[in-house]
Parts: sequence; structure tokens; C-alpha cells
Amino acid sequence: MIAVAERTFAILALVAIVIAVGTTVALVRRRVPDWLQAAALPTATAIAAVATGGSLLLSEVAGYTPCTLCWYQRIAMYPLVIVLGVAAARGDREVWRITVPLTAIGSVIAVWHITIENNPALGGACDPVAPCSLIWVEEFGFLTLPTMALIGFLAITVLSLAARTR
Amino acid sequence: MSSNASNRKARAKADREAREAEKRAQQRRQRLLLAGVGVLVLGLAVVIGVLSAGESSQAPDIPTVDEVAGDPTIDGEDLSPAPQDPGDDPDIGAPAPVVDGQDFDDTPVTIGEPGQPQLIAFMASWCPACGEELPHVVDWLEAGNLPDDVELVSVATSHDRTRPNWPPQDWYAEVGFTDPIIVDDADSSVARAYGLTATPYWVAVDGDGQVASRLTGIIGQDQMSALADQVSGT
Repeated sequence: MIAVAERTFAILALVAIVIAVGTTVALVRRRVPDWLQAAALPTATAIAAVATGGSLLLSEVAGYTPCTLCWYQRIAMYPLVIVLGVAAARGDREVWRITVPLTAIGSVIAVWHITIENNPALGGACDPVAPCSLIWVEEFGFLTLPTMALIGFLAITVLSLAARTR
Repeated sequence: MSSNASNRKARAKADREAREAEKRAQQRRQRLLLAGVGVLVLGLAVVIGVLSAGESSQAPDIPTVDEVAGDPTIDGEDLSPAPQDPGDDPDIGAPAPVVDGQDFDDTPVTIGEPGQPQLIAFMASWCPACGEELPHVVDWLEAGNLPDDVELVSVATSHDRTRPNWPPQDWYAEVGFTDPIIVDDADSSVARAYGLTATPYWVAVDGDGQVASRLTGIIGQDQMSALADQVSGT
């Protein structure tokens, strides 16, 4: 069951990559279609909700103990569900002012976490309970948990900015 | 005249209301469409996940922690948790706990006993830092850097079946470590007795059975040589 959940989250991360790339192209070309602008905040909310639900499932059901860096990423990700959810319901297109600082912090931590996963010596010794260098999940050869978190943060960033565009 | 004007106002108001109603209906349709697409994507992801992860989730028969864990006996007082700064270690010179244990093939192995200086390397197979350190240990040993009077013993500890590189005996074999190993019990009692706070963890014990040095983390081959030289000839 956990293997299925891991694979499902990985597939959703691939979908999030497609969404993030497509939205980034639209932002760079300064041509954000109306449908994307309308869908941006609900989609960003869904990404934050899946990331939050996924992290809780893997820690509380699968028993993957979150390390310190996991917790810092959680602190950045979890509030986004509420912030983006309320913004989507109210049509608040200025919510990027709150979400982008959170996603920026989360992205920096996720990048450092990925670096430690690939260079365990940088992470120092292994805490027996929850070492940050331990790779719990690796799907398709590259999708680890901080990698999926980074994809989520980046997708939410560009979607928040797409919602802002007039 | 006033009747015509009020009729026009009423029609304009009705038109406005109709447009707003149409706009609201369009928004509702958009939201429904978006929700439908979301549910569809989620459903497809779950279906693909079930189909593609089905085979890989069929875990082969792997041993349990109880099947792997050893049954060592520990004699002596526990050391305090190793400090981050080895210079602040209050247990330098303290008698090391004497542990009588077995390796993965039930061959008896002892650590901490006075007589022969020892380097004790605590390793967890799932720990990426240990994964980086152990091959260097093997290379260092194969290069003949360990003094003849010093014995190197690894303690396989912190067993966790849910983590990568399980079981640990396969990991030791893959890396090519052939020196003595003590298998810790399921509660990591040997690690606790020696004050382990993280892995890899090195303890140098001199010929009198006293702690000469304790280091946590990847130490590299130069420090391995320094630790061995510290206890050699004692």
C-alpha cells in the first residue's frame, strides 16, 4: 500500500513539473490565458494539499520519521493549504505576496536537503532516529521526498504569480 | 414619458442581472470542470501507481530485526553520551564496557577487554555516512595500515528493517569488510553502553581496556591511522 502511495505521489510530482513548466512559459511570454489565471489558485491549493497529505501519510502511516530539514520544509508547506485555499475561495490574486516568501524559504531548504542526500558527508553523522541524508523514497531514479517538495514549492510559486497577472 | 424611462431602467437592470447570473453560472461551470480535471488526474495517478507499483511492492522474504540482531552480554559501566567536541570527553581513560557478542555467523567476538588495543567502528547499514565511510575502512585495512598489535572490530548497530541496505550482513559483504563484527541487539544496547549519539562512531580502546578516544562522524583514513597509532603499543 505504501509502495502504491509513493508511486502515486511521484506521478503527481511529474504532473506538477508539467504544470510548473507550462505556467513558467506562459509567465515568461507574458501571455497567461484566462483559464490558467482562473485555475492557478485552486491548482496551487491542490498541490499544497497533496504535499501536506502525502508527508503526513508517509510519516504517520508508513513510519518514515521526518528529519530536521523535513520539518523545516513542512513549516513552509503546511500553511500554504490554508492560505491558498482561502485565497482561491475569495479570488485573492495578491496572495503571492504571502506564498512566494514561504515557497522561497521552502525551496532553499529542499535544495540543501537534496544536496545532503547526494553528498552524505555534508550532512555529518547519522542521527539514529532521523538522519537527513537517509533517502526513504526514490521513484523513477530521481524523485526523493525533498525533490518532490521542491517541485511542489516551485509549482506553487509560478501558479501564485500566474494568478496575479492581469 | 416617466413610464417609458422606468421601463428602460427595469430592462437594463434585468439585463445586468441576467449577465451576472450568466457570469456566475460560467464560473460554477469552470470550477466544476477544474474539480473534475483534478479528480481525473488524481484517479489516473492512483491507477497508474497501483499498476506500476504492484510488482515492486511484492517484497521478497527479508529477515526481521529479531532474526538479524545479536545477543551480546555487556559487563561494566555505560560510558556517557559522546560529546560533539572530542576534547571535552569526560570518559577518556574510563574503562570500556566489555562486550561478549557474536558476528553474523555466531562466531564469538569480544570488545573492551584488557589485553589487545582495539579500534571499534559502530556502523548502521542504512546510514549514508557509514556507506561512505566503510569502503574507506576496507581500503585502509587492505593497504596494511592497521598496526599488527591493534584489532579493528565493527559493531553492526541501529537495526531497522524499514530502512535501505537491509539486512546489514549483505551490506558488509558487498563492501568487502572481512574483519570481526559484533552484531548489536535489537535495542542497540552495545551502542548505548559505548555512548553512541550518531553513526559512524569510532572508539579507540588501549591495551588496558581504557577509552583512549571517541569520534563521531566520517573520520577518513588519516584519522583512522592517528587513532590506531594512539593505542598501538599500549
